[in-house]
Amino acid sequence: MENPTYAYDETRHQYNSKVILKHLLQCCPHDTLSFMGVTRVDLFVPILKYVFGLAQIKGKCSLISLYRLLPQFYNQPPNRDLLMTRIEKTALHELGHCLGLTHCRDRRCVMHSSTRIEDTDFKQPEFCPTCFELFKWRLEKLSREGNYLMPKL
Amino acid sequence: MVSKDKRESMKIVPPGKKKCVWMEAGVVSYKLCDNNYDCSTCVYDHAMQVKVARQKESVVVAASIDTPADKFTATWVDKMMQLPASQRKCRYMITGEVARKICPNAYECGSCSFDQMMQERLQVEALPVHARSDVGGFDLAEGVYYHEGHTWAKPEYGGRVRVGLDDFAQRLLGRLSRIELPNIGHEVKQGEVGFQVRKNGQAAQVLSPIDGIVSHINNELLDQPELANEFPYEKGWLFIIEPTKLRKNLKSLFYGEEASKYLSEEREKLFSLANEDLRIAADGGVSVDDISGELKGKNWAKFVKTFLKT
Repeated sequence: MENPTYAYDETRHQYNSKVILKHLLQCCPHDTLSFMGVTRVDLFVPILKYVFGLAQIKGKCSLISLYRLLPQFYNQPPNRDLLMTRIEKTALHELGHCLGLTHCRDRRCVMHSSTRIEDTDFKQPEFCPTCFELFKWRLEKLSREGNYLMPKL
Repeated sequence: MVSKDKRESMKIVPPGKKKCVWMEAGVVSYKLCDNNYDCSTCVYDHAMQVKVARQKESVVVAASIDTPADKFTATWVDKMMQLPASQRKCRYMITGEVARKICPNAYECGSCSFDQMMQERLQVEALPVHARSDVGGFDLAEGVYYHEGHTWAKPEYGGRVRVGLDDFAQRLLGRLSRIELPNIGHEVKQGEVGFQVRKNGQAAQVLSPIDGIVSHINNELLDQPELANEFPYEKGWLFIIEPTKLRKNLKSLFYGEEASKYLSEEREKLFSLANEDLRIAADGGVSVDDISGELKGKNWAKFVKTFLKT
């Protein structure tokens, strides 16, 4: 997505992810199951110093930032595979929230809350059995209600 | 061989636990201290002293009869005094407060100048936290009991309990301008208001984690209230209590994994409350240092009521 200048916070020198999410809600197509914004800017949300991603719980919109997923941010050499894995985990995590899943206490589950990038690297790009069943059930329910084509899981 | 191995394995002292002085002296094979080295109020110590005294009497009466191996004929002090002088560990060495100190005073702590010096020192200085964990960006000191109103209680040598604000509370309240501590001699009760903190003219009452009488307060906080923000588990301690219902009170507090779980739940609750205009969840991020400063315009009283339970 384009640089969200409207969400820039001059005090924190970061972008307010809630403002961007509200913007996404306005431009989200009605016939969409889930709408995810991807940005390069550094995101924050009130009370947290930064976020990798933000999502509506049981909503359509979510947002992820590449800023703190890039290995270069941690003074490491560029690594495309590592970046893609981190993006996959963060995107799946936010998608889970959109389907109503909350944070999981299992550190290996993709729904575990990542406080730091080490937590993202530790967790797997997949749901634990409980979160997976919930994810599947919610996706099936949503697909039936909205007449969407159900993806194979 | 098997039985010897079993006996050795029974002597493992779990992390965070300390040997009873009766075990340290070799009078009993295994006993952990459950009274914070406050032998004067320890039921076990009293029972052992009585048992040894009776046994000594019976030995005098029937001197010709061999004493069975399982009878206790010496107190822990007697046993320690049988050791060479260079091996008589001071009680503060046994409890880990000092790395090395040999007892020069025949374990008569009441007349020991080192004991008096240590008592004074331990009352004003909080011991460093050796282990801590990070729960969603909040610091959790290990070996400390936590109250649901976000205060902590740490039982220390001699049965005293040091009290402070936890990292969650100090971040929630932000940089404090004043801390109004209870007076020495004041009685506090678990779950009832124990003290008050102020920030920018707003006040928040905070609950006491333990029942007892306040015996010391951290005077440094009068001039430097920000110590409670910077070092919540060490220099920023608030006051020391002589507890009146320690064992009962500790059962109502969170410890270890329970404390970690409780803090994690509180973090989620705080995030929801701070962003209640839009039902959202975030991935990532440690908490800012001054949460109340970040939530300008939000209802301070509501946050205090929800998390400090006052």
